[in-house]
Amino acid sequence: MNRLIILLVFFGICFIPKSWAQETIRAEERISGLFPGLSFLRFAQQVESQTSYKFYFSPVDVADLIVNISAKDNTIRQVLDGVFDGKDLKYSIDEKNRIFISKGKALDTSLPLDFFTQVSELEKDSILRQSDIDRAFSRNKLYVIGKAENSGKTEAVLRGKVTGLETGNPVFGAVIFEKVNYTRAIANQDGQFEIKLPIGRHTIFIQNLGGFVEQRQISLQGDGVLDVAIEENIISLSEVTISSEKMTNISRPEMGVQKLNMETMKQIPAILGEVDIIRSILTLPGVQTVGEASVGFNVRGGAADQNLILFNHATIYNPSHLFGLFSAFNPDLVESVDLYKAGIPVQYGGRLSSVLDVHAKYGNDEKITVRGGIGLLTGRISVEGPVGEKTTFALGARSTYSDWLLDILEENTDFKDGRANFYDLNLNVSHKLNDKNIIRLNTYGSNDSFGFDRDTTFMYQNRSINLGWTHYFSDRLEGEFVAGRDHYQFEIEGRDNPANGYNFGFGIKQDFFKANFSYEYDLRHTFTFGLNTIRYGLNPGFIQPAGPESIVIPEEVNPEQAIETSIYIGDNFEVTDEFSLNFGMRYAIFNYLGPNTVREYKPGLPISPPNLVGETTFNNGQSIKTYSGPEFRISARYSLNNISSIKAGYNTNRQFIHLLTNNAAIAPTDIWKLSDPNIRPQWGDQVSIGYYRNIKVDKYEFSVEAYHRNMRNLIDFRSGATLILNNAIEQSVLRTDGRAYGAEFLLRKNTGKLNGWISYTYSRSLLRTAQDEMAEKINGGEWYPNNFDQPHNAVLVGNYALSKRFSTSINANYSTGRPITLPVAKFNYGGSERVYFSDRNAYRIPDYFRIDFSINIEGNHKVRKLAHSSWSIGVYNLLGRRNPYSVYFTPVNGILQGYQLSIFAEPIPFITYNFRI
Amino acid sequence: MGKRISYVVAVLLLFLWGSCRDPFEPEVTNADISLLVVEGYIETNGEESTIYISKTNPIRSGSATLPVIDASVFLISSTGEEWSFSETDSGTYSYTGFFDIQDTYQLGINLTNGKQYLSEPMKPIVTPEINELNFLRDEAGVEIFISTKGTDEAQYFLWDYEEHWIFRPGVISFLKFENGAVSKREPDERIDLCWSSNIFPKIILQNSARFADNTIIQRELVRIPNESEKLTQRYSIKVRQRAIDQATYDFWEILRKNSDDIGGIFSPLPSLIGGNIKAISPETDNAIGYVSIGQSASQRIYIDYEDVQPWRIFIPEYEFCFVLADTIPPNEAVTAFNNIDRVPAREVFDGMFFLGYRAATKKCTDCTLRGTNRAPGFWED
Repeated sequence: MNRLIILLVFFGICFIPKSWAQETIRAEERISGLFPGLSFLRFAQQVESQTSYKFYFSPVDVADLIVNISAKDNTIRQVLDGVFDGKDLKYSIDEKNRIFISKGKALDTSLPLDFFTQVSELEKDSILRQSDIDRAFSRNKLYVIGKAENSGKTEAVLRGKVTGLETGNPVFGAVIFEKVNYTRAIANQDGQFEIKLPIGRHTIFIQNLGGFVEQRQISLQGDGVLDVAIEENIISLSEVTISSEKMTNISRPEMGVQKLNMETMKQIPAILGEVDIIRSILTLPGVQTVGEASVGFNVRGGAADQNLILFNHATIYNPSHLFGLFSAFNPDLVESVDLYKAGIPVQYGGRLSSVLDVHAKYGNDEKITVRGGIGLLTGRISVEGPVGEKTTFALGARSTYSDWLLDILEENTDFKDGRANFYDLNLNVSHKLNDKNIIRLNTYGSNDSFGFDRDTTFMYQNRSINLGWTHYFSDRLEGEFVAGRDHYQFEIEGRDNPANGYNFGFGIKQDFFKANFSYEYDLRHTFTFGLNTIRYGLNPGFIQPAGPESIVIPEEVNPEQAIETSIYIGDNFEVTDEFSLNFGMRYAIFNYLGPNTVREYKPGLPISPPNLVGETTFNNGQSIKTYSGPEFRISARYSLNNISSIKAGYNTNRQFIHLLTNNAAIAPTDIWKLSDPNIRPQWGDQVSIGYYRNIKVDKYEFSVEAYHRNMRNLIDFRSGATLILNNAIEQSVLRTDGRAYGAEFLLRKNTGKLNGWISYTYSRSLLRTAQDEMAEKINGGEWYPNNFDQPHNAVLVGNYALSKRFSTSINANYSTGRPITLPVAKFNYGGSERVYFSDRNAYRIPDYFRIDFSINIEGNHKVRKLAHSSWSIGVYNLLGRRNPYSVYFTPVNGILQGYQLSIFAEPIPFITYNFRI
Repeated sequence: MGKRISYVVAVLLLFLWGSCRDPFEPEVTNADISLLVVEGYIETNGEESTIYISKTNPIRSGSATLPVIDASVFLISSTGEEWSFSETDSGTYSYTGFFDIQDTYQLGINLTNGKQYLSEPMKPIVTPEINELNFLRDEAGVEIFISTKGTDEAQYFLWDYEEHWIFRPGVISFLKFENGAVSKREPDERIDLCWSSNIFPKIILQNSARFADNTIIQRELVRIPNESEKLTQRYSIKVRQRAIDQATYDFWEILRKNSDDIGGIFSPLPSLIGGNIKAISPETDNAIGYVSIGQSASQRIYIDYEDVQPWRIFIPEYEFCFVLADTIPPNEAVTAFNNIDRVPAREVFDGMFFLGYRAATKKCTDCTLRGTNRAPGFWED
């Protein structure tokens, strides 16, 4: 007996969490009778004989206690309270109606829930979380109440009990109401309520006076019961963090999706002090780049042109300024960024590797806000806010004033007339016509122009405009219609001497229309379907004489036209709560259109001039070649429990537009090419599988994903390929197969003073000249590494908030050196030592390692001040490590020398001032 | 043009962002693949035709070139007529004669180890004359340019050049120390004026098809930067212009890209290099190199200091050259100059009275250490 008590005390103190230590509320037996001047022992015996209660006590404790009480239908508690009134004795009653009497402190009689089933840390976490989720879920979950009867009843009675969430006590006076007819009921002393409602769906609100409003979605089909637990506490104002996305990693069916919001991106130390979207996504697993200052990024072993970059529906062909030093997106206008690496939603298509969907702001609807920033090289300003009640806008501009830097350099360099300028402009407007219709206008323009001497000027620009209309056909069906135009071009003005003056240029114009629908069929099915069409017009290159003295012959590669149309349908199917399936199909049709002249070659022989059979000329609008085919997007998620899930996916993609680049990095002067009869569309598929788990109530997020990709009809180039002003580009390319595989590990800490993530990626990306490509076999037709094949990649992004005003960020980046082709032999030719290259990409440059550091200082928190300001100070490449971009041999005075070229060879400090009015 | 674009882009980044180029020796294989390398141009109009035959070296090898000796080199016309080349220097095979420019030819090479090579058929191309070879003085120095006019048959041009120039050492001395005594130098012993040369120049290529009437106007060949010693007194450049076919042009372009245009940020990836000399014996790799046949055109110009003056000269090797202040009495000349470093530079007189010599270093006085004091055979004053 005593041992049991001791044991119970021990467990009561050590293991029982407070919330579970409540006494069980149950129907109690009633006691009636007169107990005049009995010893406690006698009293106990009498009660025991009358009821099922058993008493346990130490006789010493009750030795001098006399019971003098009269009871009539009283509970044992009422009786005992009377008996022990004013005494130093306490009692407790357990489930088996055993009453323990003790001196001073009541015994805790309940066992911890895990007393017999030892709960692991993991499960505890899961349970803790479940209570969290349950609350969020139960607000929106549809409770089906009652049995449907075909008795023609139109109303039903809903009964229930309102209890406190923490105490479990009945909440007296809680108001239960629904807002359509304002039917209401009030809970009685026991928390019981009864309300009569029409059969059908209702939103029930439950409110304790001065407390939270709880809500329940119900589908009332007949009389029934709904018990509700509500918060009793008075609301106190505190910071609210909305963390709706935490769960999505586990629960969303797609995989390979990375979301970054602006707050996260702001914490990554940026080069030159400006938040940079492209650089931010480079910190994510599976995203790599061939080197610093390069325009493109590579997703899961795919080439840079295999990324579809969307900025509020506009396709951005060149997402950078100043050859990749800045990305083309004004950070003040960006809301968030989604990167789809694998589970590309069915509404997107046209690229093999990824979709980078950049969402821009439309402005808040409360007040006009001005933001801006001033850095060493760039300045930006943006205005957003409401115009009237129904319209909001966001307007932004950014420009550089880097000329002063070139001016400083002048004395030491030859750049007397060097200049580099860029700007970009955004205007986004959203107008709500009524509850069912919203119209959005997106415009974007960017311009880069730079020159290094007085002779040559380069410029490129993006121009985009589109208009979208979102219409809610019903509660379940939503439609979005977007029409717009994107334009990208670059131009080089050569003014070497009057006789050779030229303008060289390239341009893409695309007109597009999208219709996307989303239909919530029922609770388990959500359908998406729609149609996308793009009309391409490419000017693949022209050169024109500039000035009257120029003898340059104007030349133009035949313009190209095509229409790419795709229809798609997908279903997000929640098979069970644990298992959900997202599957869809997209059918793409590509028509290469006239006017154009296409060349035919003897089948089965290399595509080269000797095998040219003839040329066919097509008229305006005539269909020259049609490619079509389905694309599949399937992904499935199975929740192991509410903190972990596994996912698998398979998708295929087709790509009809190709970037022709014979460099490792994308140059601003690379041109795009449409698929034509001789250049087939690229095709790729991907199988992926992943495991996701959240640890410590979402504090940590862990994921591992593995993938394997096959790609066909990629483009590699023959030796000495000429890409510019080449009308017969098919004679310079090699059809190539690709293969990529890898695994990505990510551990992320989302909350707390210290947050950030660490990721490791193992990945390979290999190419092989297609088996039936006759013209040339790179590396003898064997697999060779892609230019951006960097097997090991590790990234650490860490932020530490010292206080509300000071925070520090660090970004460390390691990757295997990229592959490079090195010479294996040398010889003398043309009066100089020359090199003979062997296998493509057989060597690697040294490994890459870089650390960036930044400090963000928020201005003071005074309420009355002109502007909210913040400073960002930091150093890019803190260690000053000379990470080589390339390694090569070049003859110096006829003798070969080995060199390595580093781009950011020194630590680069930066400072930026940001403000918000 | 593509090359130029990537060049300027790379250069801008180089200067803007503290990028840098460091010497680096990557780990590469030392295996000797030992491919045959053939270079040459066959002149059809009676000038000497030269074919150079060598083998590749491993990239780390110290020796620069491995000439292939005792090979049998011959030219066959389509009618079967055959001309044999003779080895004039190790690995250098020459023939001087006239060939019918209407015919096609193949070059054959048989090595002593039994390996045999034969070129693809080559058609002679007659190179148009050089219209103008001239120069332009501007703020950055002197630009030497060429103008010519191609034809429909001769659209691709290749230029190579030889430069010779006079330079002077840091300290002019007419004295010598010989057999224990200081004496005046004879005219043929002078070390104060030398000729230097650059015969390892860059290859320059141009496609004339891009210009109206295949006219190439003022194509820059060489740039002489300010302060260059080349224009100390008199400079000469001889340019050889050759019209080649497109395949040869592409070969040279690859060769140029692979060595000059590599490693930059937007540089093209290296290309495989081939040629028109194919192996005909079994188990033999094709040779590297493009041999062509035709008639070249050459022109030489001279540029004098007077043409470009003012022209300041800075020669880094002579930056710290001066005549030593101490006067060495004649009786100490033997001890002072009997070494390889110190030479007499000036005679010192006090009025008519001979005091002795002032010295300078040999490096500063002897221009023959960096050139030759014999004028090249062609040199005109």
